[in-house]
Amino acid sequence: MNIGILSKRSTNLAGKIKKYYENKGFNVTIYTLEDLTINESLLSNDFYILKSKNLFFLYAGFFIDANDVPVIPNPQITFLQKNRIQSHFLLEKAGLLMPRFYFSTPEILADELDSEDFPLIIKPVMGSGSKGVKVINSIQEIKADGKKFVYLERYIEGTHYNVYFIDNQVCTLIKSPLFNEHVDMEKVETPKDINDLIKKWRLFLAENNLFGHLDIVREESSKELYVVDPGSFPEFTNWKCDGSPVEKICSLILEQAKKLRNKSKK
Amino acid sequence: MKKIGIIIDKYHLNHKVTDFLKYLKSIADVKIYLEESYFLNSSEHNFDEDLFFTKGKGDVILGLVKLIEERTSIPVINSFKAAWLAINRFLNSTFLRKAGIPVPDFSLNPQGFKPPFQDYIIKNIVDQGVYKFAPKIIEEKESMRVADKRALDEVDGKEHQYNFLYYQKFIKSKWEYKIYGIGENVYFYKQLPVLINPNKTESREKIDEIPELKEYCLKAMDIMDIKVTSLDFHKSQDNQFFLTDINCTPNFNYLKDGYKIVADYLLEQAKN
Repeated sequence: MNIGILSKRSTNLAGKIKKYYENKGFNVTIYTLEDLTINESLLSNDFYILKSKNLFFLYAGFFIDANDVPVIPNPQITFLQKNRIQSHFLLEKAGLLMPRFYFSTPEILADELDSEDFPLIIKPVMGSGSKGVKVINSIQEIKADGKKFVYLERYIEGTHYNVYFIDNQVCTLIKSPLFNEHVDMEKVETPKDINDLIKKWRLFLAENNLFGHLDIVREESSKELYVVDPGSFPEFTNWKCDGSPVEKICSLILEQAKKLRNKSKK
Repeated sequence: MKKIGIIIDKYHLNHKVTDFLKYLKSIADVKIYLEESYFLNSSEHNFDEDLFFTKGKGDVILGLVKLIEERTSIPVINSFKAAWLAINRFLNSTFLRKAGIPVPDFSLNPQGFKPPFQDYIIKNIVDQGVYKFAPKIIEEKESMRVADKRALDEVDGKEHQYNFLYYQKFIKSKWEYKIYGIGENVYFYKQLPVLINPNKTESREKIDEIPELKEYCLKAMDIMDIKVTSLDFHKSQDNQFFLTDINCTPNFNYLKDGYKIVADYLLEQAKN
């Protein structure tokens, strides 16, 4: 079986996944932005792993999927988690709480926002993770960085959690606000309400619920849980729970690929 | 009177909808939502319109359309899906081809990698800004190679955004067929391709219905959930039509009484 991996890097988790499958006798090719050409030439593999949410990998994912070659995770669900506005409504549809957002020109934001609306977080509208994310305490700190419009989100004061899930297993860590998943974090027992939240999210994702992660903040004042960032394919750098995440996700992907291939043959 | 909200950007408001708004205001209550002065707040909205019409494809417009679609049952023409697919050339080519509509071969390549066909046109990847097509002809020996200046600027110029180029196989055609779809009605025109005559309207003429193009147009509108559109077709030397472009903010001023046709269509939809 031939497997393609769409990934920004050929090292890290993508490299480990490649090695895992190669040890099982599969042929694996990693496509990075340096060598990804999106046309019929991609259709020779049996299935693809969409490791990155970069626009061009998403295009590749949509193209491959439209040509009946399985792509895991699903490109549409992955895309919905890339655009902040779309992911806001996606999570809302799943019944989860998200911080309110504002989106406009810097001038209109200056007119409409009051000092009590701060602190806010400035985020790129297309993107996820911590890149380009910054807390701002006043309207003077809004920097458009050449963009016409600025996306701002209410900053939730409280405890920040990085929550991974692989199948039914949930792994919860406490993280420093605004850091990515690669900084060292403290593993904690998963609180019941976080476990319930993950269950709700996985139920909503239905057949696309193999693995992922959510950045969650428990608001200090209300104790409510806000989802501040969803992720369809984390690196699992801080997986501090039982078993190897690589082995677990590779088995799940393989199983899903077989199901999707059988479905498309029918 | 029915209430119609127009979601628009400054460019379209100032240059493209004068007659349309004048007429629409005579038959409906019209409220303008201008992208450059709109404050999109996910928690506060109070819409009482019967219908929204989008004339623009900027990020705030897309965000507002998404919010209306998610939080209300007010119809939006064109929808978020329509706009999103129309601006992403690679995606619309992918889905239209899957639906059986002939589109020229296409390829998205990192800079320096040539596509698997000889004659091509390089187009911008995300067709979102306000821009006039500025072709640069690069003929190499027997090949026909054209590039839109903006596409090259996105890779090499000051507006660097990507390292990728979108290639569409170049279909040499005597005429460019300009088809307008408004609801279930389809209107047929042809003009000399812009590469032959940059003045689009000079050679434009109304033509009789071409059943094949009507079928493709309605099918494309269905696939993309697009209710008001213009499509460009080229006809190859072996008489096969290819859909080269689909637009979610068509300039209906080029269509005879276009402003009236669109406004009447919107009012009819608002009543349903």
